[in-house]
Amino acid sequence: MPSKNITLVTGAGGFIGGWVAETLYLNGERVRAGVHNWSGAARPARFRMEIVPCNIMEPAELDAAMQGVTRVIHCAKGADESIAQGTRNVLEAAHKHGVERFVHVSTTEVFGEQSGSIDESFPCQSMHDSYADNKILAEEVCWEYHDKGLPLVILRPPIVYGPFSKTFTVNLAYKLLAGNWGIFKGAADGICNLIYATDLVDGILLAAKNDDAVGQVFILNGPERPTWNEYFERFNHELGLPPLKVYESQGIGFKTKLMEPLRDSIKFARSRFERLIKLVAAKQRQARRAMKFVETRMKTMPRVHDLKLYGRKAVYVSSKAHHLLAFQPSVGLDEGLRMSVQWLEQIGMRNFQHTKGAR
Amino acid sequence: MTNSKTPRIAVIGCGAIAEEYYLPALASFPSVMENLILVDRDQARLDKFTAKYQVRRSARDHREVQNEADGVIIALPTGLHAPIGVEFLSRKIPVLCEKPLAEDAAHARILIEMAHQKETALAVNYLQRIIPHFAHVKKLLSEKTYGAPLKMEYVIGEIFNWPTVSGFYFQSDPSTRGILRDRGAHAVDHICWWLGGKPDLLSSYNDAFGGSEAVAHVAFEKDACKGRLVMSWFADVPCRFSIECERGTIEGEIYDYQKLIITEGGRKREVFVNSPIHTKLDVAREIVSNFIAVIEKGAKPLVQGADVLESIEFTDEAYEKTQLLDMPWYRSAEVRDAV
Repeated sequence: MPSKNITLVTGAGGFIGGWVAETLYLNGERVRAGVHNWSGAARPARFRMEIVPCNIMEPAELDAAMQGVTRVIHCAKGADESIAQGTRNVLEAAHKHGVERFVHVSTTEVFGEQSGSIDESFPCQSMHDSYADNKILAEEVCWEYHDKGLPLVILRPPIVYGPFSKTFTVNLAYKLLAGNWGIFKGAADGICNLIYATDLVDGILLAAKNDDAVGQVFILNGPERPTWNEYFERFNHELGLPPLKVYESQGIGFKTKLMEPLRDSIKFARSRFERLIKLVAAKQRQARRAMKFVETRMKTMPRVHDLKLYGRKAVYVSSKAHHLLAFQPSVGLDEGLRMSVQWLEQIGMRNFQHTKGAR
Repeated sequence: MTNSKTPRIAVIGCGAIAEEYYLPALASFPSVMENLILVDRDQARLDKFTAKYQVRRSARDHREVQNEADGVIIALPTGLHAPIGVEFLSRKIPVLCEKPLAEDAAHARILIEMAHQKETALAVNYLQRIIPHFAHVKKLLSEKTYGAPLKMEYVIGEIFNWPTVSGFYFQSDPSTRGILRDRGAHAVDHICWWLGGKPDLLSSYNDAFGGSEAVAHVAFEKDACKGRLVMSWFADVPCRFSIECERGTIEGEIYDYQKLIITEGGRKREVFVNSPIHTKLDVAREIVSNFIAVIEKGAKPLVQGADVLESIEFTDEAYEKTQLLDMPWYRSAEVRDAV
């Protein structure tokens, strides 16, 4: 029998929100999948679940989406600059509708550049990164509403990977398949705190159901702690690709810094003249070829902030979640990567290097 | 004052396809724009486009324009193509219908039959047939330049970002299916067109748990050629096709409209198909220009309803026989029960 309680998942068209909504639905619970707009509905629409427009910057949409909801799992992010205000809007609607449990999915990025063994007692620290700083602000807004009586819990996952992950699965696979990626000696020896998507969902649902979770912050990390270079190597191996090239840290650091102004210029040009650029690319063969070359290089080289992340020697400890929530991540890296690659094959990605000669 | 000599075209439905495709293309024909009629039940959408394109006549209901229009462009959710298309065809008003022609072959046949009965043109926007490199593949295969095709692979992988206004794609109406019915309309049409008819379906898998699929895998066979169509709305993957023939291989990227890669005798070379068609808007102008000629001069539509019927039949069969893809990432006791 489906439960009478309705769970609203914001960001249900996205990676983590999608996993949460699907898992709830498949567990027989009543779920309302909130999507930023209809374009984001392709994933939840595979199931016969309720899908509602739920742009977190639109209070009227949130108000409608919140009708009859007892639990909110807030996974929507939106643009960096709308993270805090969007979270405030969701909290306000939840508070108004008397929601019984609010789970805010934050990130370990709020710890900033701190290294070593980090648990929930460590302070949030800005690293002057728009995403992380806005996530810190969003957490502060959460505490405002907790003080107003909204029973909420904050979760901080680190690097989440698995099927449907754009950043750490699709984009990384693209880089590996393009053949330009590698082992960045000395530059990617930091700890890759990975958690597989379903392990994270388990943690989220435990936090959503356990009364002891209210008013708490939990780190939810996976069972293994490879370095980033190990992650690249193991992913590359699972894709069945030849061994990665090895880059010395100095060279890659220099190249990355050199590329940064070019990246910014391209980003600026695209934001201003996208239509014109597309038109030129469509009409001029040589321009199209050059643009494609530059685009591929840009997409398949690390950026400055990537190298910062890859070099960070922090381990995020989730013993509090183990003890209080009985959180027990179970998907090891080999299994997680195996499923990720199977999924990539299914979406037509794995074999794309076969067309490289066509560029 | 409207110009009474140019045809009066009504665009039925002012959703995303009208906004992104038909209206910008129609704008290239100022005299047609003078007489244009916009129809949508959403007044805000009507106001937006009547202002933007300075359209003088608009209506909230398609029935209001049945006695005014010389031709209609049907840009509505798929499930409405047949019922509304038939209303116009029955009045001998030529129709240009957005793809897919209908939600299934039965409805497509109703449209085709009505067009036949009333001797009225039913054009369809299967725009990709007039894209230069696709048309060149058809020529190479028809002329057997590299011998008979033996193996075909067609891959579409793109994040769904169509700015659908109504969200009809994802509502639980069974007539609105997912990627195979939508984006696959072109791919399946290519396959049938290139192979000279409907292939036999070998297998069909998708990822729908009762809703609309976002991933579809279809295997097919026609004569000596075996093929596979892989489609996904989850990631931007290089969209491409490859056709292995007896004496060479033809490859292309879906969005590189003028280039093919031919491998023959172990040598790979690029072939460029010269054409004034470079962009989707160029294609749209061709389709609209042809439709104007259909109305004005009784010209033959570039692609007619009957041309695409086999591809719709094939798609129906693929849906009918579809099985759930193996998705081990959903493998748990609860999921098995749900599946």
